Amino acid sequence: MNMFLHELKAYKKFTAIWIITLVGLVVLFLSMFPTISREAEEFKRIMQGFPESIRLALGLSVENIGSILGYYSYIFLYISLFGAIQAMIIGVSILSKEVRQKTADFLLTKPVTRSQIVTAKLLAALSSLVITNIAYLGAATVMASLVETKEYSTRLFLLLSMTLFFLQLIFLALGMIVSVLVPKIKSVLSISLGIVFAFFILGALISTTRDHALRYLTPFKYFDFAYIIQHSSYESSFIAAAIGFIAIAITASYIIYSKRDIHAV
Amino acid sequence: MNVFIREMKANRKALILWSIGVFLMIASSMGKYAGLSASGQSVTDLMAQMPQSLKAIMGMGTFDLSTVSGYYGVLFIYLAMIAAIHATLLGASIISKEERDKTSEFLFVKPISRSKIITLKLIAALVNLLILNLVTLVSSILLVQNYSQGEGIIGDITRLMLGMFILQLIFLFIGTALAGVSKQPKTAQSYATGILLFTLMLSFAIDLNERITVLKYLTPFKYFEAKNLMDTRGFEPVYLILSGLIIAVLIKVTYIFYEKRDLNV
Repeated sequence: MNMFLHELKAYKKFTAIWIITLVGLVVLFLSMFPTISREAEEFKRIMQGFPESIRLALGLSVENIGSILGYYSYIFLYISLFGAIQAMIIGVSILSKEVRQKTADFLLTKPVTRSQIVTAKLLAALSSLVITNIAYLGAATVMASLVETKEYSTRLFLLLSMTLFFLQLIFLALGMIVSVLVPKIKSVLSISLGIVFAFFILGALISTTRDHALRYLTPFKYFDFAYIIQHSSYESSFIAAAIGFIAIAITASYIIYSKRDIHAV
Repeated sequence: MNVFIREMKANRKALILWSIGVFLMIASSMGKYAGLSASGQSVTDLMAQMPQSLKAIMGMGTFDLSTVSGYYGVLFIYLAMIAAIHATLLGASIISKEERDKTSEFLFVKPISRSKIITLKLIAALVNLLILNLVTLVSSILLVQNYSQGEGIIGDITRLMLGMFILQLIFLFIGTALAGVSKQPKTAQSYATGILLFTLMLSFAIDLNERITVLKYLTPFKYFEAKNLMDTRGFEPVYLILSGLIIAVLIKVTYIFYEKRDLNV
């Protein structure tokens, strides 16, 4: 319990900064919605003059942008990028920081097992993410109801927003497994940013193809917003993949961390 | 000189990884181009009438995706992003890592002045940036020429890479200046990354909303935009002067603060 509280305190500022960032982002983007929605309406009229096939190629996306859920699907890409960075940083740093700050021998000589240490730290990281998401959900829902004058499904909006949390869980697990596998982490930020941006760009590349199987490669593509809006549920195969990955990564982290040599001062 | 060689060696692995990343990025995106180029003239017509904000959301800007130069213009945004991340992290860490790794005592008792150490470190960082830039330039030209069908592209790409180099310089010195100023070595990287992500989001927000175009001077990503550089407009003097000023001030700040600061040992 002490370890849990200590970690929570250690990441208090971190959590606060990320809450401000994510809330700021969603407020900024959603506040632009009224203008964009108007422009989309005008463009839809222009599109009437073009042949059917072209309208189909572009039309679906334009059709969507005019509504809050469609617009949200587009801007959410950037919010998920930031969310992934937050989760990755906390995942990579929370176990490895003891070695970096030369506090490993202090902590590991205490009468607690290594698994207990991992559990406490994992729970603290999880709490940080849960708190972030509660704040984000609140801000996003209020903001959406302010800018959208038409009817829209709050349930769907929440369903879309919740994907941020699931994405963060995946990156938290990824960060943990990376932090126990890499022998000596000097800079958390370089590793975290490198990996997150690699997946992000991979996602951008994959979105130009229609190959379904490729989507398993990057967590950014696990939640297809068009599918969620249509079926008002997540794709079960990707949920299974996510849960599978998280379970394996976390279990492996426990095993490796319990056995590895920890570099003391 | 030894400091320079030492820094080059210390950053060699990271530089190789970043170079491979950039190469793969260009190679895989150009692979996608073959598919896009098939989709004919009328899409281009329609695109021309699409509002700027909608195009920004879809990540296309004002580019004509059916030509190879237009396609490369979209790709350039991602390349600039990668290069900027590399430069920021490099700048912040190359100065602050002595304190982080507890090697500052070792280095600063050597018979060499602090300003000379900084100079050598900055030169090493510059060489790193230059190499990454050249790797991007050469792999772009080689890979893009495969698809260009006689379109003169080398001049455009060279100009873009020149712009990207200035962008790299700005972010490198943001990193070094922050590392020079901040008393805690850890915080320099975090703040520098914060600035990077902020400017990135700002440039995206400006694309979405024409009312805040005034803010474009605040984000270096708007200084060298592919659509201007590939256009007849080329480099705009305003931005060149502004970049020069920013870089000069940041270098000065790096030297002044780092020379006077108490180092953590």
